[in-house]
Amino acid sequence: VSPPGKPRLTSCRSPEKETFTCWWEPGDDGGLPTTYALYYRLENTETVKECPDYKTAGENSCFFDKNATSLWVNYNITVVATNALGRNISEPVEVDVVYIVQPNTPENVKAVVIHEDRDPFVKVSWDKPRTADTRSGWITLHYQLRVKQEEDKEWVEYDAERQKNYNVFSLHSDREYMVQVRCKPDHGFWSEWTQTTYVKMPNYIPRERSLWIMITIFSVFIVFILTWMLKVKHNSVKLCLLPPVPGPKIKGFDKQLLKSGKSEEVFNSLVIPGFPPTTDYDDLLVEYLEVYDNEEQELVLDGKDLSEDSMKSKSPSDSDSGRGSCDSRTLLLDKCMEGSGNDQHNYSQHGETSWASSSECSESQGSPGSPESTDGRMKTWPVVFSSPQPHHHYQVGATKPAYHSVPEILKHSPSHAIPSNYHQLYLQDIPPQEGRFTKPPCRHSQSYNQFNMDNVDISEAGVPPSRSLEYVEVQRVNPENILLLRPLSDPNREPEGSDRIDEDYSKVKEVTSNNTLLLQRETSHQVVNDYSQDFESYADQCTAQQTPHPCKPVMTQLHSQDMRVMGNGYVDTTVLMPLYKQF
Amino acid sequence: SPVECPDQEIGGTSCTISAEKLLDRAVQHAELIYRFSEEAKLLFDELLDLFGGMNQYIPGGAVCAPKTVPVPLSKSEIQQISDRWLLHSVLILVQFWIEPLVNLQKSLENYKSAPIGLLSRNQWIASKLSSLEEGLLVLIRQILGEGGLVLGPPEDVSDNTLSVDAFETVRRDYSVIYCFRKDAHKIQTFLKLLKCRQVDRENCSLF
Repeated sequence: VSPPGKPRLTSCRSPEKETFTCWWEPGDDGGLPTTYALYYRLENTETVKECPDYKTAGENSCFFDKNATSLWVNYNITVVATNALGRNISEPVEVDVVYIVQPNTPENVKAVVIHEDRDPFVKVSWDKPRTADTRSGWITLHYQLRVKQEEDKEWVEYDAERQKNYNVFSLHSDREYMVQVRCKPDHGFWSEWTQTTYVKMPNYIPRERSLWIMITIFSVFIVFILTWMLKVKHNSVKLCLLPPVPGPKIKGFDKQLLKSGKSEEVFNSLVIPGFPPTTDYDDLLVEYLEVYDNEEQELVLDGKDLSEDSMKSKSPSDSDSGRGSCDSRTLLLDKCMEGSGNDQHNYSQHGETSWASSSECSESQGSPGSPESTDGRMKTWPVVFSSPQPHHHYQVGATKPAYHSVPEILKHSPSHAIPSNYHQLYLQDIPPQEGRFTKPPCRHSQSYNQFNMDNVDISEAGVPPSRSLEYVEVQRVNPENILLLRPLSDPNREPEGSDRIDEDYSKVKEVTSNNTLLLQRETSHQVVNDYSQDFESYADQCTAQQTPHPCKPVMTQLHSQDMRVMGNGYVDTTVLMPLYKQF
Repeated sequence: SPVECPDQEIGGTSCTISAEKLLDRAVQHAELIYRFSEEAKLLFDELLDLFGGMNQYIPGGAVCAPKTVPVPLSKSEIQQISDRWLLHSVLILVQFWIEPLVNLQKSLENYKSAPIGLLSRNQWIASKLSSLEEGLLVLIRQILGEGGLVLGPPEDVSDNTLSVDAFETVRRDYSVIYCFRKDAHKIQTFLKLLKCRQVDRENCSLF
C-alpha cells in the first residue's frame, strides 16, 4: 500500500485543427483504487481548468471539443493521480493545437488498370478524410501512395502533392500489386497508411520490350549487311589484313616462260656467261647416235657376206669369229669418218684407201721384172681364145685362175722330174692350202667386199681410174709391139686389166718351161701370193683381236717355207725379196 | 510581384493584375515565410542547446499573447468574421513584425557564433515580409476600394530599448522567433480562407 505512481502524458493529436485529444499512461496504482484527472492552463491566462470530456476518446484520455479548443495558444497540460494515501502529478507539457495536427487516413482508395495507346497503367484514386475541412481552406492536405508486389519487401513511394489521384506506370506484366495511401497537412504529422488495395496487371508485352525487339531486329539486319559486304569484298579485305608475302626473285628468271612450259629458255637465263654451253653436248650426243645407225647398216651388209662364206666353208664358229672381226674393222673405219665429220668425205676416204692399196699391188708386181710380164702377155692371148669356159672362171673369182695355170703347166711339161716336183709341191701345198683356205675365205670375202666398194666407186667416178690402169700397161707394151697392144686395149680395157695381172703369172711359168729352173719360179710366185695373203690376214687378226696365239702359226709357216726355198738357190732369194718388201 | 503596378500610390489608377492572382501570390509568400521561420526556430534551438539549454533562458516557456495583435482563436469565430476584417488582420500582423525582425537581424549579427543559415534565413524573411506588405496594400485597394485603408498607423508594442543583459537579449530574441512563427501560421491560414471565399470552387485545395 502506497501513494500512486507518477503518470505520463504520452501524446496529444488534432485530426482537423478544431478539436484535439490527449492520452496518458498511468503509473503504479499503489494497490489502492486510483483516480486520474487532467488539468490545463492557457498561456495567456492564469485560470486552471480540468478536462472537459474523459469518455469520448476512451480510457486514460481527454477529449477537447470545439468550444474548449483555441488555436495559436499554448496549452500547459498535467495529469494528476490520486488514491487514499496521496496524489502524484505528471510533468507539464506545452501543446499548440496548430502543430499537433494528424489527419485521419484517406478513404475510398481505388486502383484500376487502364488500357490506352500506351502500355497499361494503374490509376489510383482516393478521397480526403471525412473530418478534414479542405473546402474552406482551413486545412490543406498533401498525399502520398506506395506500391509493391506481395513478395517484395520494400515499397515504392510516389508523391501526389495535393491531387487525389495518381497514375502508376512501368508495372510488370501478369503481376498482382498492393497499393496504400496516406496524407499530411501543410504543417503537421503524416496520417496512417490506408488498408491495402489489390490490383492485377494483365498479360501484355511492354512497349519498351517491343522497342528492344525492334532494336534487335534492326541490329541483326545491319550485321547481316556487314557480313554480306565482307563476303563480297573478301579478297580486298584479305589484302588489307593479310598483305601478300613477297616471293623470292632470281635475277634473269622469267616466270612467264616457266609457266608457258619453255623450261629451256628459263634455264638459259640462269646460265653463267663463262660456263661451257650445253648445246654442244646435245649436238655431240645426237651425232654419235646417228653414227651408230650407220654402223648397223654396215653390219647388215657384212652379215649377208658372212652367210655366203659360211655356206662355202660350212663352219658356224668361223662365221661368229668373222662377225667380231668385221665389227671391229667397221668401228675403226667409222672412227676415222667421225674425225672428218662428213659422210661424203668418209666415202671418198674409202676410195682413196682402195686406190692406195691397188697402186701398191701394181708397183710390187712391176718391180720383179718387165721381161716376165712380156712373156706372160704373149701366151695369155691363145689361152683366152682357145677356151670360153676360162672366161667364166675369170668372172667368178681369182682362185679359179690358179687351177687353170696348173693344168696348162702339166700339159706343157715333158720331163718327169718336173712333174714329180710339181706333184710333190702340190701334195705338200694342198693340206696347208686347205687349212689356209678355211681361214682365208673370210678374209678374201672381206677383201672382195672392199674391192666391190672400190668397183662401185670406180663406176661412179668414171673414166679417170680406167685410164690410169691403161696408161701403165700401154707404156710397157708400146716399146715392144705398138700395133698389137693398141687395138687389143681399146675394145677390152677392164677385162684386159684383170687378164694382164693373171697373164703375168702364166708368163713366168712359160719361162720356166724354157728353162727348168724358171718353171720352179712360177710355182714360187703362186706360193708367194698365197703367203702374202695369209700374212695379211694374220696381221689383221692380231691387230683386231690382240691375241698372241695367231702370231705363232705365222712363224711356223715361215720356217717351213724357208726350208723349201733353201732347196732352190735362186728361187729362194727371189721369193724372200718380195716377202720382205711386203712386210 | 506587386512591383508590376508602379502606379499604385497614384490615386485613380487601375492595375491589370487580378485579385485572384494577387491572392495566389500572397498565399505563396505566406507559405514560404512560415517555412523559413520554422527552420529559423530549429536553428536557434540548436544554438541554445550549445549554451546550456532553453530552460536557462526561458524557464517558463515563451509567452506571446500580451504583446501580439489580438485575433480570434477558434475556427468558429474566425469563420464568422468578414473579408474586410481578415484583410486588416493580416496587414496589421505583417506591419507589426517588420521592425522586430530587422532588430533581430542586428542582434543576431552581434552573436559570436550565430549560424550563417540562421542569419540568411532571417534576412530573407524580412525582405519577403516587405514584399507581402506591398501586395496586401494593392489587394486591399482592389477588394475594399479606396476606403479600405481607414485604419490608423499600427500601435508600436515592441520594446525598442536594447538590453545590456545577455540573458535578456537572448530571451527577447527567442520570443521574437517563437512568436513570429505562430503569427506567420495565422497569416497563412487567413489568406487561404480568404482565397477560398473569393473562388467559387468545391475543392479549394485543388488549386
